[in-house]
Amino acid sequence: METVKTNHAAKMLLNWAAVITLVLCFVIFTLAKGSLFMSGNNMINILLAMSITTVFGIAATVTMAPDGFDMSACTLASCSAYAFVSSYLWFGFNLVVSILITIVVTIIMYQLTMFLILVCKIPDMLATCALMFVHQGLGQWYIGGGAVSTGMKTSWGADPQRVELSEAFSSLGRAPYIIIIMLACVLIAWIFLDFTKHGRFLYAMGGNKQAAKLSGINVKKYRYIAGMITAVFIAIGGILVSSRGSSAQVMCCDNYLMQSLAAVFVGRSVGGAEKPNALGTLVGSLLVSTLENGLTICAVPYYVLPAVKGAVLGLALIAAYASSKEN
Amino acid sequence: MEKITLSTKDVSMAFPGVLALNKVNFEISTGEIHAIVGANGAGKSTLMNVLAGSNPGYTGEVLLNGEPIEVRTPNFAKKHGIQIVYQEVDTALVPSLSVAENIMLNDLVMNTKGSFMKWGALRKAAQEALAKLHITNINVRTLVQNLTLAQKQMVLIARAIQAKCNFLILDEPTAPLSDTETEELFAMVNKLRETQNIAIMFISHRLHEVLRICDSYTVMRNGEIVHSAPVTKETTTKEIVDKMLGRSFEENFPKEIVPIGDKLFEVKNLSGAYGKVNDVSFYVKKGEIVGIAGLVGAGKSELCKTIFGSYKKTGGAIYLNGKKLNINNPSQAVKNRIALVPEERRKEGVLVQETVAFNLSAACLSKFCTMSFVRKGKVSENANRFIDDLGIKTPSQKQLVRNLSGGNQQKVAVGKWLAADCDIYIFDEPTKGVDVGAKQDIFHLINDIAKAGNGVIYASCENNELLSITDRIYVMFGGEIMAELVTADTNEDEIMNYSVGTRAEKHA
Repeated sequence: METVKTNHAAKMLLNWAAVITLVLCFVIFTLAKGSLFMSGNNMINILLAMSITTVFGIAATVTMAPDGFDMSACTLASCSAYAFVSSYLWFGFNLVVSILITIVVTIIMYQLTMFLILVCKIPDMLATCALMFVHQGLGQWYIGGGAVSTGMKTSWGADPQRVELSEAFSSLGRAPYIIIIMLACVLIAWIFLDFTKHGRFLYAMGGNKQAAKLSGINVKKYRYIAGMITAVFIAIGGILVSSRGSSAQVMCCDNYLMQSLAAVFVGRSVGGAEKPNALGTLVGSLLVSTLENGLTICAVPYYVLPAVKGAVLGLALIAAYASSKEN
Repeated sequence: MEKITLSTKDVSMAFPGVLALNKVNFEISTGEIHAIVGANGAGKSTLMNVLAGSNPGYTGEVLLNGEPIEVRTPNFAKKHGIQIVYQEVDTALVPSLSVAENIMLNDLVMNTKGSFMKWGALRKAAQEALAKLHITNINVRTLVQNLTLAQKQMVLIARAIQAKCNFLILDEPTAPLSDTETEELFAMVNKLRETQNIAIMFISHRLHEVLRICDSYTVMRNGEIVHSAPVTKETTTKEIVDKMLGRSFEENFPKEIVPIGDKLFEVKNLSGAYGKVNDVSFYVKKGEIVGIAGLVGAGKSELCKTIFGSYKKTGGAIYLNGKKLNINNPSQAVKNRIALVPEERRKEGVLVQETVAFNLSAACLSKFCTMSFVRKGKVSENANRFIDDLGIKTPSQKQLVRNLSGGNQQKVAVGKWLAADCDIYIFDEPTKGVDVGAKQDIFHLINDIAKAGNGVIYASCENNELLSITDRIYVMFGGEIMAELVTADTNEDEIMNYSVGTRAEKHA
C-alpha cells in the first residue's frame, strides 16, 4: 500500500513538473532580479516572445494528436510568409485579402504533404523530411532568392504595387494583437480537441489506431482534417512572423520548428494528459520563453541559451516518459 | 423477459489448408451461461468469430430466433445484439482516452448528430453501463492506461453491454486475471444474467471454472462439436478432458535413445516476465530433451524468454554446470552458450532480408572474422556445411531467407545456433506452421543436438509431439509449473489434466 501511495505522489509530481518548474523560474528570477524581471512590461516581453512559438506549437499539437508528425511545418510557414508579404506589397491586395490568400496557398501546399502521407503511405517523418527541401526550394524560387520587403522589386523585376507597410500590417506583430491571436489559437485548438467529437476521434487514433478504425472512425478522413487545421495554424504563424519582422526574410520561419516541438513535448504530460494538448503546449512555450527571458536578464550569454533550453526539454521528456512508460 | 435464441445450422469455415469448422450445429438462448471448451485449434474461436461477424467467409446458416441472418460484418453482429470481448483487451482500447470515452466509443462514432462533446451525458451513460455490471471501483474520468488488466476488461464488457447486447462472447476472460479478480468477474456475470436478457458464452481453458459458473458446455475438437450438455453435479473435469482429446493419434516419431549424463542446467525459483512466470524450478541433464507443456497463454514463451534474458527477472537463479549465471539480456545468455529459437521466427528468429549464409553465421559472426573483418570464405564454408547437414532446401546460400518456406526458415533459425556451438538449446514452438516433412527433419535435428551431449528445452502446446520427442515434461499453467512427468510413464490425458490447472501433489 505504501508503494502505491508513493507512486501516486511521484506521478502527480511528474504530471505537474512543467508547471512547478515554471513557478520556480518565476520565483527564482524575481528573487534574483526583482522588478527587472517581475514587471508588467517584462511579462509582456515574455508573452511577445512566446507567441509565434506557441502558434507553431499548436499546429504541431493538432498534427500529433492523431499520432502524426510534421517536420516541414516551419519551412511551409516560410512559404506562407512569402505569400503573405508578396500579396500585400507586390500585388497590392488589402490586408484581409492577403491573409485569406495566405491561408488558401498554405492549404493548397499542404495537399502535397497529405498526398505523400495518405496516398503514397510514406511514414510522416520521412515524407515531411523530404518536403522540407521542397518547400525551401519552391519558396525561394518564388521570391527569387531574396527577401520580400519594402523598397525591393518583385522577383520578376517589376515595381511593387505598394511601397510601404500600413500601420495595421505591422500592428499584427505587436502587443496586444499578437498575444490575442496566440491566445485565440490556443483557445480554438483546445475547444476543438477537448470538446468536439472530432477532436476526441483524433486522440482515439493517436492512442490506438486499430481500435479507432474498428470503432468505425474514418481514420484517413480524420488525418486529413487534422492536416488541414494544421495548415491554417501554419499560415497564421507565417503571417505573424512576417508582420513582426515587417518583411518576409529568406527562411524566416524555419528556426521555429525545434522550439515549437519542444513546447509540445513539454506540454504532453502537463496535468496527466499524456497526449499533445493545446493548454500543455501553451505551458511548454511559456516555460521556454520565461527561461530565455530570465536568463538573458541574468546576463547569461545568448549563445549559451540553447544548451539551457535543451536541458529543460530533456528533463521534461524524462518526466513524461517516466510517468507513462511504467509497464 | 422473452427468450432469444441464436443458433447455427451446418456452419463450416475453411481457411487455406484447414477446415476450421465442419458443419457445426450450435444453439444458445438468453438466460444461459455456456462454456465452449476444446484443445488449441479445435475451432472455438473460429465459431465465435463467425457469430461475431469477423469470419465473413462461412458457409451454412446463422439463425436468430429461427430467422436466418447474414452475419458478415462485426457491425451487423453488434446491431443484432451479438457482442464479443477479445482476450487481448489492449487492441480494442485507446489508452490515452478516459474510461467514459472508451466505453462510449462506438456510440460516439455512430451518432453523427452534433459536433460538440456532451461530456455530462457521456459520463452519465458510461456510469450507467458500469452500474449495470455493479462496478464501483472505476472512475469514468481516469485514463484507461492507468487501469489494471481486469479493469480494462470490465471497460470492454461495459462497452459491449452499453449497446444492444443479448449475446455476449467472452474469449478467455479469466486467463490474465488473479483469483479475486476472477471471482469478481463471475459475480458480475451472474448478476448480469439475472438482470438482463442476455446469454454469455465463455471460451475457457480453465475447466474448474467452467464447472462452477456455467449452466452448460460444448466441447469442440478438430472443428466439430463432439459434445454438448448441461453442467450437472456429476460432470467432472476428467470427463471433459476425455472428450476434448478423443482418441489420441500418436504422430509416429521414433525417439532415439541417448545416454543421459549429469545435471547440466538448472533454474531455481525463477520469476519474471511481468508476473507471467512465477517461481519456476526445473533442471536439464546432458543429452536430455525436457518438454515444457501447457496451453496457449500458460507462460511457456515467457519462461523461455525470461531464461534468455529478454524479459526481466524478478527473482530466482539460473545455473549451468553448477555455476550461477548472471543473465540480464540476451547478449549475456549467448555468451553463456544458451541459444533460443523463438516462436515468432520471422520476427525474432531469422533476419528475413538477409541471405541464408549470413543468417547461418549471425549468432557467432566473430568466429568468421579476422580483426573485425568478415571472412567471406569462412562464412560460405559454414553455410554450405549447415545447408547440407540440415537439409535446408534453398537454391543457393545467397538466397534471401524470406523466400524460403516456413520449415526451411525454421531450419535456418536452428542452424545459426548450431554454428555457435551452445550448451543449452531452447526451442519455443519449433513446429508451428511447419509441414510434416520438415517437422521430421526438425525432430532429427533436435535429437542430434541432444546426442552431442547438450541440453534441450522444448516448449510446445502440441502434447503428442512432446510425448514423442522428450525425456521429461514439465506442465505449466498460469506461469507456474503444475507437474513434472516422465514421458515414458505419462499420456496426453495426464498432461491435459495438469494443463487446465490441476496441481500435482509434489508441486502443491
